[in-house]
Amino acid sequence: MNKRILHILVVAQLVVVALGILFPIVWMVMSSLKSSADVTAYPPSFLFKPTLENYTHLLETTPFFAYARNSLIESGASTILGLALGIPAAYAASVTRSSWPALVTLSARMAPGTLFLVPWYVVFKALGLVGTYAALILTQAAITLPIVIWVLLPAFDAIPRSILEAALVDGCGVLRSLWRVALPLVSSGLVIATILGFVFSWNYFLFALVLSDEGTKPLVVAAFNYIGEGSTDWGGLMAAATLIALPPLVLAIAVQRWLVAGLTLGAVKG
Amino acid sequence: MASVRLQGLRKRFGTHDVIPSLDLEINDHEFMVFVGPSGCGKSTLLRIIAGLEPITEGDLFIGDRRVNDLTPAQRDIAMVFQDYALYPHMTVYQNMAFGLEMRHAAKADIETRVLAAARMLEIEPLLKRRPRDLSGGQRQRVAMGRAVVRDPQVFLFDEPLSNLDAQLRGQVRGEIKALSQRLQTTMVFVTHDQVEAMTMADRIVVLRGGVIQQVGTPEQIYSTPANRFVAGFIGSPSMNFLPVTLEAGGARLEDGTLLPVLTTRRGPAVLGIRPEHFEPAGEGGLAAQILLVEPLGADTLVHFNVGAVRCIARVAPDTRPQMGETLRLGVAPGKAFLFDPESGVRLG
Repeated sequence: MNKRILHILVVAQLVVVALGILFPIVWMVMSSLKSSADVTAYPPSFLFKPTLENYTHLLETTPFFAYARNSLIESGASTILGLALGIPAAYAASVTRSSWPALVTLSARMAPGTLFLVPWYVVFKALGLVGTYAALILTQAAITLPIVIWVLLPAFDAIPRSILEAALVDGCGVLRSLWRVALPLVSSGLVIATILGFVFSWNYFLFALVLSDEGTKPLVVAAFNYIGEGSTDWGGLMAAATLIALPPLVLAIAVQRWLVAGLTLGAVKG
Repeated sequence: MASVRLQGLRKRFGTHDVIPSLDLEINDHEFMVFVGPSGCGKSTLLRIIAGLEPITEGDLFIGDRRVNDLTPAQRDIAMVFQDYALYPHMTVYQNMAFGLEMRHAAKADIETRVLAAARMLEIEPLLKRRPRDLSGGQRQRVAMGRAVVRDPQVFLFDEPLSNLDAQLRGQVRGEIKALSQRLQTTMVFVTHDQVEAMTMADRIVVLRGGVIQQVGTPEQIYSTPANRFVAGFIGSPSMNFLPVTLEAGGARLEDGTLLPVLTTRRGPAVLGIRPEHFEPAGEGGLAAQILLVEPLGADTLVHFNVGAVRCIARVAPDTRPQMGETLRLGVAPGKAFLFDPESGVRLG
């Protein structure tokens, strides 16, 4: 009897949490399919005639695909940069058993973005880089790098030291032991680091808001244009938000099994 | 093939001297075993030879080359690790070929050498499998195969048998010994198991606290131990140690019994008797009141107390004393050892 009550409580708890997470997403998708009259109706209607007019309007009146390409370039390149710097950094921190570099990057990630933004803006302005992909990629790497390090560090830690030593005895240098032995052993962590880095960078708003211009503006900033001073096109905003959320959602669903395994990587040995 | 020479070698971790100062020469083609209890520095010494631990002071030579500053890869050594350390993402073939690949060997040469080693170790059918699909014994062979294909100057083994069950351990022990005789390569083998040391070694190094206690053949270590530590560590069951006073007729035990021991020394000493060197005595000898009898088939172990000291004697299998019974035991002529009670050094 106790087990049954526990089971019901667990299910109820999961339903409440799932509702809390899913409700905004469902609301966003529903709103994107409503006409302008339905979307502002009060009380909100759950039964309505769906329309794609917000999507067609969005694609016809804005350079949506140009923004999407910008997002892709900036998130993709900052993820690659984060991986290029984060993989050797995490490996070095793991091999030398020094945790302070990881702590430093974590504190950088936890600090508010505005802390970096002002000095960065001054530097990039002086270098004439404001509004360029370079500025956006470099700054977004501050988002991706700590993620890469923090996902990969426990993964590298979980590799038995003797395997890495065997690689050294077999003739590897440190870099080759990383490339040929360590990296293949943390492949699931690598996938997770890549996806999380990409998604966080894709969704990060603040740096791009200030450092991009019309030619380099990513989707998250472009969607902000729907919020006007006088009126907000909620239907258009929700359609844009739905399209922006789609790639990360698809990615997350596609690799959800790895995602759970990767996030608990190193937590349990074996 | 090469000798290994350690000169004034010192290893310090922080402020702790793990190996205070050590000199040792391992001959070309020799099977040398480092043996000692946990924490005696034997694995550290092996890792120093491998290049996995830096040297604090002193010199290390492999052949004529001073290798202090060379990486493990440059030392031309191969190592078999305690947990085998196979690469989990590679097949057995790839595991064995990896070291040759890293040395840019030709593909055809790699294949020939891997297949030859696999044939020698009887692991040919396993070449396409991954380590997770192998048993402990099979992994052990693959780890040896990975070392063998490299044809290195020196093989290093870090307690490679400790993860195997008793039966397999005996079998692999024989195989490694046979391998060493076949390859004629210098081998350094670390173990805490004195049976492994005795059965495999050309020479044994007994270590304690980073200090060499004795270097010698198994026979020398067994029959002329340098000190009480070596005498107690080598041999199973361990040597029995009894406090005695040496006098004209021999060694007098604390209970007054006089055991005939040939010595010109006088005064307090420690008498060492191996279990197999007790023998039934008539009226003389010590009175052993039996506490426990362990029949092993080939022989029987008898436990008894001499004063406050617990002793074990190995007696003939047909000797079946009852618990509580008293046996008269003497020492086989010339088989008793005497040690200095302070320093533990064996008295000549």
